[in-house]
Amino acid sequence: MEIKLKDLTKVFPGDKKKGRKDTIAVDDLDVDIKDGELIGLLGPSGCGKSTTLYMVAGLLEPTSGEIWFGDEEVTHLAPEKRGIGLVFQNYALYPHMTVYKNISFPLTNLRVEENIKDEKCVKYAKIIELLKDTKTIVKVIVGSNIDGKVNKSSAVNALCEKYHIASGVSLEIFKLGLAQAENPEELAKVKTTEYQTKLDEEIKKVERKGKKLDKEYYVLSKDQNSDVFKKTLKRRKLSKDEIDAFVREAARIVQISDYLDRKPNELSGGQQQRVAIARALVKKPKVLLLDEPLSNLDARLRIQTREEIRRIQQATHITTIFVTHDQEEAMSICDDIVVMKTGAEMQKDKPQDVYKDPKNLFVAKFLGTPPINVFEGEIKKNAIYVGEDKILTSDKKLKDGPVYVGIRPEGFLVTTDKKATAGEITLDVKEVLTMGRDLMLVCANKNFLGERIKLIVDSDVNAKVGKTEFKLRGNKVFIFDKKTEERIYF
Amino acid sequence: MESKNNWKAWLYLAPVLILMAIFTFYPLINTFVISFLKDFDYRSGANSGFTFDNYGLVLGLVEKVPGIPESKITEFVQYALPNTFIITFITVPISILLSLFIAIGINSVKWCKKFLQTIFFMPYVTNIIAVGMVFAVIFGDYGIFNNLFGITGTKWVTESASWGNSMIVLCAYIIWCALPYKILIFSSGLQNIDKQYYDAAKIDGSPKWKTTLKITIPLLSPQILYIMITSFIGAFKEYNAVIGLFNRNYTASGNVHDLTTVVYYIYSQLEGNNPHMQIAAAGAVILFAIIMVFTVIQMRVSKKRVHY
Repeated sequence: MEIKLKDLTKVFPGDKKKGRKDTIAVDDLDVDIKDGELIGLLGPSGCGKSTTLYMVAGLLEPTSGEIWFGDEEVTHLAPEKRGIGLVFQNYALYPHMTVYKNISFPLTNLRVEENIKDEKCVKYAKIIELLKDTKTIVKVIVGSNIDGKVNKSSAVNALCEKYHIASGVSLEIFKLGLAQAENPEELAKVKTTEYQTKLDEEIKKVERKGKKLDKEYYVLSKDQNSDVFKKTLKRRKLSKDEIDAFVREAARIVQISDYLDRKPNELSGGQQQRVAIARALVKKPKVLLLDEPLSNLDARLRIQTREEIRRIQQATHITTIFVTHDQEEAMSICDDIVVMKTGAEMQKDKPQDVYKDPKNLFVAKFLGTPPINVFEGEIKKNAIYVGEDKILTSDKKLKDGPVYVGIRPEGFLVTTDKKATAGEITLDVKEVLTMGRDLMLVCANKNFLGERIKLIVDSDVNAKVGKTEFKLRGNKVFIFDKKTEERIYF
Repeated sequence: MESKNNWKAWLYLAPVLILMAIFTFYPLINTFVISFLKDFDYRSGANSGFTFDNYGLVLGLVEKVPGIPESKITEFVQYALPNTFIITFITVPISILLSLFIAIGINSVKWCKKFLQTIFFMPYVTNIIAVGMVFAVIFGDYGIFNNLFGITGTKWVTESASWGNSMIVLCAYIIWCALPYKILIFSSGLQNIDKQYYDAAKIDGSPKWKTTLKITIPLLSPQILYIMITSFIGAFKEYNAVIGLFNRNYTASGNVHDLTTVVYYIYSQLEGNNPHMQIAAAGAVILFAIIMVFTVIQMRVSKKRVHY
């Protein structure tokens, strides 16, 4: 399902009496999300990313603008009609319900519209079909034993797993007693003819009512005006068996099958999180929305769970919007990242491009650890200066004037290095910090905006405290307009 | 640290503990003791020994006048106990359901919520006797109620009213008085429920009635249990409603005691120059036992259904 946000705006009205201004949480946002894509809304807290998500979910009404799911406008549609799954920041699992009930709750509200099949015929036909495979059935039943004894419920479960059938059918097969019979093949033959007669009788019964069945046992009834037989549509609730099957499937995907009868407060944060995802996934939504789903987890679990989310998303191919303030999280799992600031989109790109090719100062500053180093610079005759150091020359014609110069921490090279492609800059190295693979140098420069410059060099480099000349890697240097803070390409 | 400061804690508690010992614990124990004493005289404390007869007399197991079996029947068994049970099992469920309904209603309206809360809390600050008098006027022979429904002449609260009619008005009155406190408790409970559960329910496509039934009420269950236990206890102790509404304990339906409740019975034993202190004590202990049994049952039943 494609999602389109058109000029989406949300204004939270202020209070004139108290002199509080209106808050523009989301400002004219335009985002296109492709089908099956995992998109990350990234930004500092208060940038409107969650507000955007809740508008997509339908829990907040947009002030203006439109939301489209595919060809359908859903701007004013109630949340339950949008076919979305939402994982809340603190999961919002119903604390009084077991995990099973939590996951099945959305399903109990679901109505499906289907052509009616004759359930009895379907069941008989299925049993007849399965009975051809007598040996495997006996093997599965015998194999499911606990301590050498064949147990009813475990055998039924094993059959369900093996053939993906409802527990009702598998119970009936188990009751035939194939595993206990001396000659299972013979018994299967007898039973097959029995079921065949039952099936024929059922078909006759339907025909007596003036209806027909097709090959797949859809009930065909005559149209009122013509003599044509048609399938009959019916809206209905899901049956208990169906709900059970869906819940178990969702639980299997997120790997919480063992905890179904526990209450949420008996689970760890990561497990609760997975229950929340299962609850969102179980009704097979067209869109999955995740609101900072990892913020309550510890560091290790966070990495594990975010990979899990990616895996589930890839397995289900659901268009997903993922809200986060953690750049690493967004970078690692998203197909595309939308960086937001005060309700407006700053840049939308592939994760690596957002880092490699920032469109403006905000994006450059927001992404990357340690953060980008920003200097006061100047353009003079197509060359860029930081103080006295000429750090770049450009082929393009550039307007003279002051600019911001951003250099990524990994963009500095010690002079002997030959990889250097740009000019030089002299920094005063104050401290050398060893970080294993790399060295971090803490330096000072009078044109630097901020406290200390942090840069990362290879650990083989013999770095010393004191004035040092660094060469620069051209693709790690970005120039921004002083007023608009937009990128100037050189 | 803890053990060092212990004596301080006891010191702070002492005034209350001493007062409670004098005015609560001692009378409690004394009531229990008196209920087993024969021919107890409250002035001198004189008695003629230990007996179960007080309970027998209250429960109608012992003949009041020896040799006459009819004297066994007491107003306690005949009227007080049935009336109390009727009042309890009518007013408690109705008032809880009603207040739950109103509280959820108030909670779901957006405008003038505060105003509605105040309105519904008004009866709580009104004097119960005053409310009783207003009810007596409303349900008077020529009162608003009869006029409204065009049934002038039907007796509800006056002396010549039937027992049934009197009971209906009494229950209505008790429910009316019980509502505000329950609404207050439920409202505050509802406000404590995280809004996110409702958002989640919306996303899950749950209709409003189902959200109320499956999410709001289970999450409110601690408050519901609290209200249930306290109002059962309150209803078993009902007495002042009868005074407030009728100021007597009989109706035209015959007997002079047919509006008596358990506590009314206990008080009536203390009337006159020669109060039957030991009978009243036995009645109080029986009431205590009944309340205890019901509370234990409620705790047991609720254990699985209440979510904390």
